[in-house]
Amino acid sequence: MVLEIVVMIKQVPDSQEVVIDPVTFTLNRSAARNVINPADENAIEAALRIKDKVGAHITVITMGPPFAESALIDCMSRGVDDAVLVSDRAFAGADTYPTGLTLAACIKKLGKYDIIFAGEESTDSSTGHVGPGVAEFLGTDQASYTSESWYDNGFVYAKRELEDGTEVVKMKPPTLITVLTNANDPRRATLRMKIDATKKGIKTMTLADLGMPPEWVGLKGSPTVVKSMKAIDEKKREGKKFKLEEIPKLVDELIEKKIISI
Amino acid sequence: MVGLINAVPPENLEDFKNVFVFIELRNGELSRPGLEMIGAGLNIARKANEKLVGIIIGDNLEKLADEAGSYGCDIVLGAEGKDLKEFRTMPYSHIIGEFINEFKPNILLIPATRNGRDLASRVAVKSKAGVTADCTELDIDLNGRILLAKRPTYGESTLAEILCRRHRPQMATARPGIFKIPEKEEGRTFQKDIRKMQIPEEMMGKEIIEFIPKKSLDLTAAKIVVSGGLGLSKPQGFAVLESLANEIGGVVGASRPTVDLGWIERDHQVGQTGQSVRPDLYIAAGISGKIQHIMGMKLSKNIISINTDPNAEINQYSDYIINDDLYKAVPALTEEIRRRKEAKK
Ligand SMILES: Cc1cc2nc3c(=O)[nH]c(=O)nc-3n(C[C@H](O)[C@H](O)[C@H](O)COP(=O)(O)OP(=O)(O)OC[C@H]3O[C@@H](n4cnc5c(N)ncnc54)[C@H](O)[C@@H]3O)c2cc1C
Ligand SMILES: Cc1cc2nc3c(=O)[nH]c(=O)nc-3n(C[C@H](O)[C@H](O)[C@H](O)COP(=O)(O)OP(=O)(O)OC[C@H]3O[C@@H](n4cnc5c(N)ncnc54)[C@H](O)[C@@H]3O)c2cc1C
Repeated sequence: MVLEIVVMIKQVPDSQEVVIDPVTFTLNRSAARNVINPADENAIEAALRIKDKVGAHITVITMGPPFAESALIDCMSRGVDDAVLVSDRAFAGADTYPTGLTLAACIKKLGKYDIIFAGEESTDSSTGHVGPGVAEFLGTDQASYTSESWYDNGFVYAKRELEDGTEVVKMKPPTLITVLTNANDPRRATLRMKIDATKKGIKTMTLADLGMPPEWVGLKGSPTVVKSMKAIDEKKREGKKFKLEEIPKLVDELIEKKIISI
Repeated sequence: MVGLINAVPPENLEDFKNVFVFIELRNGELSRPGLEMIGAGLNIARKANEKLVGIIIGDNLEKLADEAGSYGCDIVLGAEGKDLKEFRTMPYSHIIGEFINEFKPNILLIPATRNGRDLASRVAVKSKAGVTADCTELDIDLNGRILLAKRPTYGESTLAEILCRRHRPQMATARPGIFKIPEKEEGRTFQKDIRKMQIPEEMMGKEIIEFIPKKSLDLTAAKIVVSGGLGLSKPQGFAVLESLANEIGGVVGASRPTVDLGWIERDHQVGQTGQSVRPDLYIAAGISGKIQHIMGMKLSKNIISINTDPNAEINQYSDYIINDDLYKAVPALTEEIRRRKEAKK
């Protein structure tokens, strides 16, 4: 039986294009283009490598607005087989609980799954909670923060990069893996594949397809509320200038202010 | 596993009491991030006049429990077993889930380390609770005993305050290196409740087949970081920074392109895709100050920029600016500090 892999991706504002407002110090997100969350690109590549090696059928899913379709087509142009956009007004404002619930419900709807891939975290709200949340909803095991993963003889293996070392784990499928940013070098789409992917198109699922009541999802289904958002008070930096020959003066000041001790 | 079910809030919030913290172990010891949770939790518990309960999971916990008590826990709750020596998601999340069912915490704090984050959102889903990620400020509103959790988002530019009014426990993960470890007080009185646990084989989940410890550089612990960028123009430039770092008592950091070029190991990288540091002093030599680098160092208490370009972006973030060639300025700084040390002898 063919290995079934699901990759979860999120669209985020491109951090390279994000402009910092010099007055409020907030990111001007509206100016930025939407891109696939960087870690999710690595998650797709991790899935494709398993497909290259042992064969697999890969489905990519995202919960997001209709314009997320382009990101899904991009994934298909790299070798992903199918794509599902989970989209409904009711999903808006979801915190990580209903986001996980909605994605888990979509994955269940797809049928059989052996490995689920996610990014370690998003670059915008960066909780890193969605992957493990999905695993809990589905009751699967998980390996987070992985730099490498492979499938061999009925088992899934992964290398977890921890603060104090690397842990190599062996798991029975189904399981969920979150992939580190820069874990691998994601392949690019080819024009030929892009044409095929566009022709094939994506599938969509709405709340009705998932069969959940509207108060379970989106803002209504979220335990957390964002009470306020404030630009982080940047310490005003003086930018005191010192010439080469004034370095002794600089050192005096560093010592005096107890910034360094001799 | 909870199945596909929404986050139903509990009926009676009054049933939920006390502040619980997960004290993560590392190498069989209470870890720094774990002890920091005691610090974060104590502030809240004292203010609300509630108990601080420390959770530890592992093997041979008696002595560790005593230590946790001496750091300020009123109750130490332990789950002990041979199979629990190493962190594994399935049994650890199960145990904490069971503790929550039994003790009904009002608040639960978990360190935002990799294993802590791996654990936290699973526990939250199990308990139908909300969790605020990677907090840097934690307080309590006594009116309703609501946890006030603040976290930096959008690449450290915005501080979001996040609450869970109706769900319990109110969970948060807290960023390592932010909260103070309390003073140890030998002989404090506290309660100990250590339970021997036998976890059924099928609940253990993944098997850890190997652990390769790394002697990786933890830039976040350093008080002084001396970083270099492309302005070094050659790999040997890092030797010049190393001399300064040795003299001043710091460690060497780097911008990403220097790492990508192989001039220095990746564990020296500071920035969005490297480490986030907030030392007492950050010295940026030949670094232009692109946003992805700034994100990883702008919380430093003091910043010195050494750059030939008077308009380098890094200067806007700097307390002190030396507008000159780093190959002159860095050795001059090193020499000056050496001279002061000599003079003191
Ligand atoms: C300022 C701010 C702060 C927030 N803080 C919190 C908080 O502390 N706690 C909380 O519960 N919610 C929080 N949220 C809500 C949170 O942004 C949403 O729940 C979001 O849908 C998912 O969180 P994330 O971006 O952190 O995902 P992460 O958990 O960081 O994402 C990890 C991976 O999960 C997958 N994934 C995530 N979202 C999707 C998706 N929509 N479709 C497919 N795959 C996906 C991707 O593979 C991604 O790489 C916050 C929102 C804002 C605006
Ligand atoms: C998704 C993403 C993530 C990224 N993550 C990171 C990250 O984590 N960390 C990071 O650092 N970057 C990161 N970057 C790269 C970042 O955008 C910049 O390219 C990088 O920080 C620039 O490095 P630099 O300052 O060393 O080089 P440059 O921008 O080339 O600056 C070199 C500086 O040296 C000065 N100089 C030249 N000669 C001398 C001399 N003799 N003496 C003194 N000064 C001199 C120049 O005036 C200039 O200001 C990321 C980029 C992307 C897209």
